[in-house]
Amino acid sequence: MIKVEKRNDVSRSIYFLTPVLAIFLTLFGGGIIFFILGFNPIEALKFFFVTPISDLYGLSELLVKATPLCLIAIGLSFCFKSNNWNIGAEGQLIFGGIVGGGVALLFYNHDGFYVLPIIILSGAFGGILFAMIPAILKTYFNTNEILVSLMLVYVAKLLLDYLVVGPWSNPEGFNFPETRQFSESARMPILFDGLRIHAGIFITLITVFLSWLILYKTYLGFQIKVSGLSLKTAKYAGFKGKTMIIIVFMISGACAGLAGVGEITGPIGQLHRNISPDYGFTAIIVAFLGRLNPIGIIFASLIVALTYLGAETAQIFLQVPKYTGQVFQGMILFFLLGSDYLLFFKIKFLGLKKNEL
Amino acid sequence: MNTKLKVSEISKIYPGCIANDKVSLEFGSGKIYALLGENGAGKSTLVKILSGVVKPDDGEVFLNNESIKLNSPLDAKKNNIGMVFQHFNLFETLSVFENLSIDSDKKDEELRELVNDILKKYNFKIDLDIPVLNLSAGQKQKVEIIRCLIRNPKVLIMDEPTSVLTEQETDDLFISLKQFSKDGILIIYITHKLKEVLSLCDEVAVMRKGKVVSVSNTIDEKIESLANKMVGENLNTIKKKINNFKNSEEILKISNLNFNSDDPYETNLNNLNLSLKKGECLGIAGISGNGQNELFQILSGEIITEGTSIMFRNKEIGKLNPRERREYLMAFSPEDRISQAAVPELKIYENVALNNFKSSNFFEKGLVNEKKIKEHSKKILSNFSVNTDNVELKSQFLSGGNLQKLIIGRELITSPELLVCFNPTWGLDVGAINYIHETLIQINEQGKSSILISTDNDELLKLSDRICVIYKGKLSKIMNADTVTAEKLGILMGGGSID
Repeated sequence: MIKVEKRNDVSRSIYFLTPVLAIFLTLFGGGIIFFILGFNPIEALKFFFVTPISDLYGLSELLVKATPLCLIAIGLSFCFKSNNWNIGAEGQLIFGGIVGGGVALLFYNHDGFYVLPIIILSGAFGGILFAMIPAILKTYFNTNEILVSLMLVYVAKLLLDYLVVGPWSNPEGFNFPETRQFSESARMPILFDGLRIHAGIFITLITVFLSWLILYKTYLGFQIKVSGLSLKTAKYAGFKGKTMIIIVFMISGACAGLAGVGEITGPIGQLHRNISPDYGFTAIIVAFLGRLNPIGIIFASLIVALTYLGAETAQIFLQVPKYTGQVFQGMILFFLLGSDYLLFFKIKFLGLKKNEL
Repeated sequence: MNTKLKVSEISKIYPGCIANDKVSLEFGSGKIYALLGENGAGKSTLVKILSGVVKPDDGEVFLNNESIKLNSPLDAKKNNIGMVFQHFNLFETLSVFENLSIDSDKKDEELRELVNDILKKYNFKIDLDIPVLNLSAGQKQKVEIIRCLIRNPKVLIMDEPTSVLTEQETDDLFISLKQFSKDGILIIYITHKLKEVLSLCDEVAVMRKGKVVSVSNTIDEKIESLANKMVGENLNTIKKKINNFKNSEEILKISNLNFNSDDPYETNLNNLNLSLKKGECLGIAGISGNGQNELFQILSGEIITEGTSIMFRNKEIGKLNPRERREYLMAFSPEDRISQAAVPELKIYENVALNNFKSSNFFEKGLVNEKKIKEHSKKILSNFSVNTDNVELKSQFLSGGNLQKLIIGRELITSPELLVCFNPTWGLDVGAINYIHETLIQINEQGKSSILISTDNDELLKLSDRICVIYKGKLSKIMNADTVTAEKLGILMGGGSID
């Protein structure tokens, strides 16, 4: 007989320590997988988690990957904290990229300081626009935002596909599915010569600060917190539930859109089919690993970004597919959810009784 | 058939509280035993131990001088101990007979014959082939009782069985219970209603703070003596003096209000009319589920209606949400204090911030004014004698009584003109109940009005100036409290009519 009981009080420090535990369990699980594959687990893990960041270029790459992950996860934390399950950040990212990229192409022959800010804002606007679809359907037609936002990811992907193959493809590009390279004034400034780290990181850092301010110091943040804990209480307190759903979707759409436009104006420099290696989905893991807390999300984004880099290194040195990175991301989520379950519930073994045998 | 049940030195310790402290009691068949105690006195724990739901840390249970192990509800059934819980465990969409056959190993025809015998013997009138959802609460309870009777119980435990019943249904239940007792079934009756103990039971064991404090024959007891044993202190009974509000200013008027819900589990409200004078307390009685929830939400603004249907101090407020209504000095204390009126995971001061409106200045220009909220919270904690002064404490660590004081305090500290409360003392111990009652009387004395929606008739009779009954979404005539008796209320609550 096994019985599951809810724990009454969960220590706050352990609550923030379990993600760390999940990461160690992931390393352990990863070691076992490498061992089964015939590698020396310690060596393999070193290739995965240490080699990629052992030089300056590696560290810069880490930040390049962490920048969009952190940004999207911060946006998602607004939704998740208030019980709105937006899992379509990938679509909002792509649509933000499409709108931002479209504007960048429009300014193809323009130079000027104003070009980049306009592109960035239009990217955020694109993300908001796309996030509004599940938000409005949820508030006015009671649809399930999980389904709608997820399905819209494929709409955005196919739309991008169509644009880069068809109307927006590079006229001098030999029919490759990509647009022109954006002009210099439409690119994020590079911070250091020879490294890919770009000014997008400042957008992320400013967003982290603003979201901390909003979540913990404003009436909106208070409403989000209460709604996340009890919708009945939110209604009783007279919070405008519908307005809040719209606002949190706007924030998370804007963040995803910014991440998208940051990618295409930063490291990529054009639109093509794969502008995001599923950052929008991976950011869900980042958000939960960071406990929906702005500071936690910064750390979580660095760790998850490392799995992207590690996968690439492992592909080169160990000849394992780069999808191992996703295996690690999956393991992180698995172990996090597992340890959360044990954190919030206790399992009692009651022992079998004679007359039951 | 003589049954003797004995619990010996039973102890059960939960983290931070001793639920049962060496409880020893003896019961014998042919009598009805009352187990009396406040909430948290330990009676539920003891009953759960007897029904196999909870395992004791120490002590033994003897049935007919034989020690028995009760590790699961199944063990209790095997030992012929039957239990009827306060909340019914029935499948609403299945028929009565299907519900009975689920946990019976008898063949259908055999079972039907047995059930029909039971129905005939105890004069129960229940159609076995209609879905349970069409039954009244009293009938559902009978189904639960029949479910126990099928197994030929030696012991039948009833856990606060009358909380959902009308007065008439309660009378019926008592007749049945006496009959069972005559047939040799040992009956243990758990309650905190003193009158029931006196009218039904032969012996009464009083529990307080996990211990048995007294065992006596009910003939030797009076309501006052039992109440004193239960609470452990002399209660000074409060009774409100009835005022005449003929010439007072009208503060709230609801006219021809209808509410039709899309949700089949909600009750529609038909043609509600009521008015409330300044300083008056209007009591609304009724059995739960007759539209009280919907009425409360309509008053609080959680359900929005026609603007003109609700007038508060001559303003149309029907379309306003709860926050906007608070601006007009209305305050609300919902029934569900744990998941609606307050959030257990939030700190005390955060829960205080829920009662927010423009003039409270808790949030200025969209920013949290933590200092102001905390100051305000401190004031509530001391003015309403909540037993902590730590505003950073999470509300889940407050007992029910202290949480309710915090909620009432939060609602009242803004000096509202009208307080709407819904079962404000539900599940609280006598001390907290008294405190809340005194507070509610006090606000009326200060010229503030209140609407008290409650399923506790004693509370209504004690606090209201005028009383009406809600039944199936309709309000009865509003009566002056001094002309109302518990019996009259019972008739109206059960859908009957008086004069």
